[in-house]
Amino acid sequence: MLQTVHPARTRPGAGFATGAVLTALLLGSVVVAVGIGSVHVPAGDVIDVVRGRLGLPAEGVTVIDDRIVWQLRMPRVVGAAATGAGLAIAGAVLQSLTRNDLADPYLLGVSGGATVGAVSVIVLGVSVAGLVGGAALGAGAFVGALVALALVLMLATGRAGDLPPARTVLAGVAIGQLCAAYTSFVVMISGDHDSARRVLAWTMGSLAGVRWQSATILLVVALGALVGIIAYAADLDAFAFGDASASSLGVSIQRVRWLLMVGTALLTACLVAYTGAIGFVGLVVPHVVRLVAGPLHRRLLPLSALAGAVLLIWADTAARSLLDGQEVPIGVVTAVFGAPLFAFLLRRESRSR
Amino acid sequence: MTSSRRTRFLPALLALPLALTACGGAPEAESKEAGGDHYPVEPTSCGFTSTISAPPERAVTMNQGATEVMLSLGLEDSMAGTAYLDDAVPEKWRAAYDSVEVLSKEYPDNETLLKAEPDFVYGSYASAFGDEAAGPQDELEKLGIGSFLSLFGCDENQPSADVSFDSVWKEIEVVADVFDVEDRAEALQDEQEKVLEELAESRPGDGLEVFWYDSGDRTAFAGAGEGGPQLVLEAVGATNLFADLEGGWADVSWERVVAADPDVIVLADASWSTAEDKIAMLEKDPVLKDLRAVKAEAYVVLPFSETTPGVRLADGAVSLGKQLAELG
Repeated sequence: MLQTVHPARTRPGAGFATGAVLTALLLGSVVVAVGIGSVHVPAGDVIDVVRGRLGLPAEGVTVIDDRIVWQLRMPRVVGAAATGAGLAIAGAVLQSLTRNDLADPYLLGVSGGATVGAVSVIVLGVSVAGLVGGAALGAGAFVGALVALALVLMLATGRAGDLPPARTVLAGVAIGQLCAAYTSFVVMISGDHDSARRVLAWTMGSLAGVRWQSATILLVVALGALVGIIAYAADLDAFAFGDASASSLGVSIQRVRWLLMVGTALLTACLVAYTGAIGFVGLVVPHVVRLVAGPLHRRLLPLSALAGAVLLIWADTAARSLLDGQEVPIGVVTAVFGAPLFAFLLRRESRSR
Repeated sequence: MTSSRRTRFLPALLALPLALTACGGAPEAESKEAGGDHYPVEPTSCGFTSTISAPPERAVTMNQGATEVMLSLGLEDSMAGTAYLDDAVPEKWRAAYDSVEVLSKEYPDNETLLKAEPDFVYGSYASAFGDEAAGPQDELEKLGIGSFLSLFGCDENQPSADVSFDSVWKEIEVVADVFDVEDRAEALQDEQEKVLEELAESRPGDGLEVFWYDSGDRTAFAGAGEGGPQLVLEAVGATNLFADLEGGWADVSWERVVAADPDVIVLADASWSTAEDKIAMLEKDPVLKDLRAVKAEAYVVLPFSETTPGVRLADGAVSLGKQLAELG
């Protein structure tokens, strides 16, 4: 079990050192990732574009280079970092709240509901608040995620207003299955070749549509969530010992669980609306961070955010540069690179016991 | 100048077909001195209007259908790139096609597209302007890049044009208008009208019940009543077994095919489902091998790209007519 708490194994300095390394890695990743893409832009030109945009003297920046580096790549890198950070903290919180190693940000039906919304827009042409194109797709996904979340909460909430973890997980599974059935039905019956392609592209997740406006929103949402959730770090630590112990430690169990579950689900719904459901990050990053820095949430949460940001920056960089001139779905990249890395860490962990 | 042109194009927003006829038959075809008063042109489809202020010189086509419309108008010299073939470009346009750079095998991403420095992007399907491909049309417009989505390619928020030869010619007219080569569109339409008239007279498919087998094995994905297959079958006077079904193609159970026992089977030849594979499947299946058409090997093979609404649909009709005549 990865989840169980081993306060003794937590080395005091580990969190700080890991944090410093990850922060350096994050900044370095942003710089390097902006220089990589399907079109080769020489490093000097990339630097000139960025210098020019930051108001520093820069020479000979062409319009094409500026568009590619500053208007396409930079917002994607920022958006990827924010999304990765958000997914990782959502996963960490939900794993602690439910005491379930398999919990991920989409636990409460968010991805299923978002897909229902997206499919309704893509295949059935449902319009959301008069929006068209990408905006309608994002709005549809967000609304779908909220409806699914509401259904899961209705199913899971007990008479006393409590939210037992096991029942919540199962309610999420049930609603998820229902959403999947709807999605398959609509695509098979009403979708043509082209809309099926667009649905598939959406469900695999992508940061291809992220521009400065959406990148800024993603960043604000992720940072806000991080700050808000870290305030509950001590409460989350208490949850790891079980509801009874947490309550004896003075945690208002029902209120905190509701708040954090709904909060992380809303965070995930925001991310999904812009990027589609990107798997693996929210599931794996918190586990890896726990292996390195221990389970205390005041370390786990910021370190997960940093690690998630770095991971998704590189996953997105691979997604946009791996195939010559074509996009690879980012969900494929996170799984292909994430799964072996995770398996390696698991083996190492099992041997060290 | 701009305002008068705008006013004339206002109806385009309300009644697309009307406006298209108006601009196709408009007098600017004659007044051609150095662009003259031809521009700006405002091609409209699927609820989006692009503004073109000069003949594009670096057009990029995102799908095979769009590429073929360009090549049929002899516009290869105005192109900076092509993408996403479903099958082969026909022999007659092969040399022209090869003279244009291929940006990517499927859709090029944003960066690759911008690097080609396009001034006009033309796609056949809504996915061509998805985030993973060219990006939304309004984003391109902001960068000063004109764009056009096929009249048949609207997403579900906008009705696509009815599949008919008239719609095919309308689309060609709009594209010709963008490049100020309306006379070529007229010549192409005249030519296609002529061969269709000849087919309508000779009716090589008269009295034949045809099962249009596009793809599929557990069920048959068959040509239905409202798409390319129906048009091609109508053009040769044949009867489509599944003309009563909605849409261009539809999933049907093999039971219905066996019950109808068609005279002829048309096989679409696509890279993902070749005619050869489908024939092998039909001849191996214990029930389907007893169909009259399978026993008599009454097969007609058409390239998939001659069966979708576009400039090659007329070629599909001619080829079908010829093959039916050969089957006797």
